[in-house]
Amino acid sequence: MAKQPKPPVTIRRRLRGAEPYLWMLPSMLLMAVMILIPIFTVFRYSVSEISRSGRIKGFNGLENFKDVVSSPNFWHTLTNTLVWTVVVVGFSTVIGFVLALVLNQKFPGRKLIRALVIFPWATSLIIQAVIWKYIINADYGSLNVILTKLGLIDHFINWTSTAEAFFAWECWVGIFVTVPFVTFCVLSGLQSIDSSYYEAAEIDGATFWNKMFKVTLPLVRPSLTVSTVLNIIYVFNSFPIIWTISKGDPADKTHTLVTYLYKLSFTNNRAGQAAAVSVIGFVILAICASIYMIMSLRGEEADQ
Amino acid sequence: MKKVLALMLAMAMALSLAACGGGGDNPPPADNPPATTPAGTPSDSTPPSDPAPSGDKINLNVIISQYGNYTQEWWPTFEKDFEDTYSNIDLNIEIVSWNDLYTVVSTRIGTDQAPDILNIDTFADYVADDLLVPAEEYTSDELKAKLIPSFWSANELDGTVWALPILASCRALFCNMDLLNEAGVTAPPKTWDEVDAACQAIKDKFGGSIVPWGLDISQDEGQAAFSYYTWNNGGGFVDEKGDWALNSEANVEAMNYIKSLIDNGYCNANPYTDTRYPLQDAFNAGSQAMMIGACNMMSADSEVNYVVADLPTQTGTPVAMGVCDRLMVFDSSVTASKNSDEAARLDAVSKFFDFFYDTNRYSEYMVFEGFLPVTTDSSELLSKSADQFAVGGTGAPGDSEYFANFSSILLSCDFYPSSRSEWIDVKQGVIEAEQRICQGEDAQAVLDEIQARVAG
Amino acid sequence: MRKRKPWQTTLLYLFVFVVAIVIIYPYFVMFTTAAKTDAEMYSANMTILPLEWQWSNFINAWKAAPVFRYFLNSLLVAGGATLVAIICGIPAAYAMARMRFKGKGFFLGAVIMSQMFSPVVLLVGIYRLMTDMHLANSLVGLILLNAAFNQAFAIWLLRGTFLTISSEMEQAAKIDGCGTIQALIRVLLPVSAPGIVTALIFVFINAWNEYTIALTLISDDIMKPITVGINVFYGYNFIQWQYLFATSLFATIPVIILFLCIEKHLVAGLTSGGVKG
Repeated sequence: MAKQPKPPVTIRRRLRGAEPYLWMLPSMLLMAVMILIPIFTVFRYSVSEISRSGRIKGFNGLENFKDVVSSPNFWHTLTNTLVWTVVVVGFSTVIGFVLALVLNQKFPGRKLIRALVIFPWATSLIIQAVIWKYIINADYGSLNVILTKLGLIDHFINWTSTAEAFFAWECWVGIFVTVPFVTFCVLSGLQSIDSSYYEAAEIDGATFWNKMFKVTLPLVRPSLTVSTVLNIIYVFNSFPIIWTISKGDPADKTHTLVTYLYKLSFTNNRAGQAAAVSVIGFVILAICASIYMIMSLRGEEADQ
Repeated sequence: MKKVLALMLAMAMALSLAACGGGGDNPPPADNPPATTPAGTPSDSTPPSDPAPSGDKINLNVIISQYGNYTQEWWPTFEKDFEDTYSNIDLNIEIVSWNDLYTVVSTRIGTDQAPDILNIDTFADYVADDLLVPAEEYTSDELKAKLIPSFWSANELDGTVWALPILASCRALFCNMDLLNEAGVTAPPKTWDEVDAACQAIKDKFGGSIVPWGLDISQDEGQAAFSYYTWNNGGGFVDEKGDWALNSEANVEAMNYIKSLIDNGYCNANPYTDTRYPLQDAFNAGSQAMMIGACNMMSADSEVNYVVADLPTQTGTPVAMGVCDRLMVFDSSVTASKNSDEAARLDAVSKFFDFFYDTNRYSEYMVFEGFLPVTTDSSELLSKSADQFAVGGTGAPGDSEYFANFSSILLSCDFYPSSRSEWIDVKQGVIEAEQRICQGEDAQAVLDEIQARVAG
Repeated sequence: MRKRKPWQTTLLYLFVFVVAIVIIYPYFVMFTTAAKTDAEMYSANMTILPLEWQWSNFINAWKAAPVFRYFLNSLLVAGGATLVAIICGIPAAYAMARMRFKGKGFFLGAVIMSQMFSPVVLLVGIYRLMTDMHLANSLVGLILLNAAFNQAFAIWLLRGTFLTISSEMEQAAKIDGCGTIQALIRVLLPVSAPGIVTALIFVFINAWNEYTIALTLISDDIMKPITVGINVFYGYNFIQWQYLFATSLFATIPVIILFLCIEKHLVAGLTSGGVKG
């Protein structure tokens, strides 16, 4: 645009006004087509009667939603989803942040460890879930074998004797695969901090914690915001870990909303109810994210 | 701001429409308009109106479920042989693992992309939506004559046969005799008391290193466990009149018995999530003493000294369980292939089946996968000379004795009532019931609840 | 750099050691299991290391399925998706970081909202859309979908990076006669290299590991990416753990190599010294 001969003032002003939208056009277009249209389909399904073989039979109002909320499994699943999201995102953020601080230090072998940290993330979730399921298996799993050989236990332990134990392991795998993401987000933030900040702080006699709260945290906040918001969404919507390890069993006690709706849709052949569950999940996430965003945007404006 | 939004949306829509239209240039021949010109009959006077790349070929999409590790090696040869024989039919065979089969199929059906021929276990839901073509319309007389009659009629719903049996298997009790003998048990257990005694003996002898009894009440096949124990206690899915009877006294007893197996520490640690595959592997490796499993569960290189016995029973007469999967044909209104001439399509389907059930080819496939044939001619052939065909993967010759034994057991087996429209609910219901009961809930109460949900 | 006290160094190494062990453990299990024989997998006397190293498993896994082809597909999909996502994402992130316009908050919100349905939830909708666009069973469809589902990632990450960089340099460039696009390409992008590289890695890895969409969308065996392709080892009768784990290890290696290559550039981007707060 800049190279063209200058058009009359009003058109130029119009173009200026439209400029930000033009910049965003390719991205918005991509998302509108690839995500918005399927979302529309899901909303349509949620208010339609869907036959067991997956055919739309007509509008049925809020029938699907009524069926969903009248099931006790749904409410249990909702609680699980909350626990799952809070535990996995919470622990991952703390561990990932600490790990990033450590990896930002200079020490021999740092490169190696940095490369190692990418491993859990470079491996597909499906594969990780399969390997962890194999590790914790009580009858032939590797964890029992190793602990026995090391003499730490004298008989095989059933690591997943209850639904709660199953869920705890699933949370662990969730944390295991999420930490690298946080670490690298924070690390990329840390690395763009100029060391002169720290030098200045040290001249002022700042302690470790002073530096942490006055220099490090504010400067990596954008990275941390990104990683936390995206993690909440990704973890909330995470599917392969729970589906591979327990499929929501025993007795549907380890579902989160996503595995629950997958089972409703593809095992129980209730696609309408499954769509209703995803709309409910969407509303919950939308509320959380709006609150978070309003707060963080305000914070940003206050900084400026 | 609203104006901007509206503008954005309009632009997005326009562009997405353009994208949709642009896609039409892509290779898939599926977008031929449903032309009125009959394709596939070159002698016809009217030439095809649309010079599609596929010409006047009939497209047949087939989804075959993955039965073994080598399924994907057998079918490409079949596809090639078939296309060589029928040059006007373009066969497209897709192998889908059971893990993903239901997801793939229901997504396709929901979007009018169904295959022409589908290999799966149930069909009642598709019948309810009028998606299937009755079997009479594509089954040749010769084929119908050689299908074992009980398997043909097992696919009947409301007086019409909707599917063909593809293969069968039956379940039996597998016992590792070396382990049992070492623990002082000389014969496979025949009753539940004997099962308990044998399990206890194994547990006492080997401690934790050997699992006495393999149990699978997972979503994968929990309904099978339900059948093994309820049928052999005089219960089951239905009563004598054929009505659903999930909460019968016999069933409650059976459920409590399953729970006692777990509580006594006789089973693998996680029957809720262990599917039968790791159980089979453990049995093959000799680290599990007993399990009820499919006739073809032993791998060729297993060194386990095992015997196959009747399922343990409380009624005196053991009930064996058979499983039969199906092939069904979808109505052209929902298929992805969009052939314009229905008669020609059904003719191609018919050719496909005749080709598949050909005595030699079908027998070869049964030996390859280790499943039991559902046609009389292949049953006879395999009972006598299965060794002329090779087992998938190892290439070892087939075992005639295996086919002779199990094919005769198969005829006395009971099958799931899976042709009924409530079956999916029943299946999911009994799995849920098993898991909840084994987690400590009251058996009668849970089964009452499931019964009420299913029978209304 | 400031000096560490000895106890701090000890603590640091202890922490790093524990982290390393925990991370390596599953890969160690994968590796040793992949090298076991069938009989050893479920044997009553389990050992940590295979009694008999079955190296042929690693070779046979390639023969048991078109694993090479799966790899190629994964590379194409992940590479393509990364390219599309970044090319679309950079201008959008730039606009959101540098420009003031009506509805900015709304667009930021929309970006985040777009990620709130997981692909699993949208499967039916996605499949329907792809068949309408004749992109089902095609790598192009997978590329576009992966790019779209990673837009939020890319935009937020890039916007975060752009925000940490002062706009003074771009303004100076504009005064020197550069257009906005030139200022972006010549001034901002080089300086934001670490953020861009991170975004690249994120998108690539996510696309490389994507499973559910590819599973439903791709029906041709030769078009499957590796995550879906390894399903063949999950047979009806037996699970071939050895091949599954061997292939899984292979599938992990390219991503790690890629990361190791890029990390150098990441460090280089940092030492170039352009990043000033």
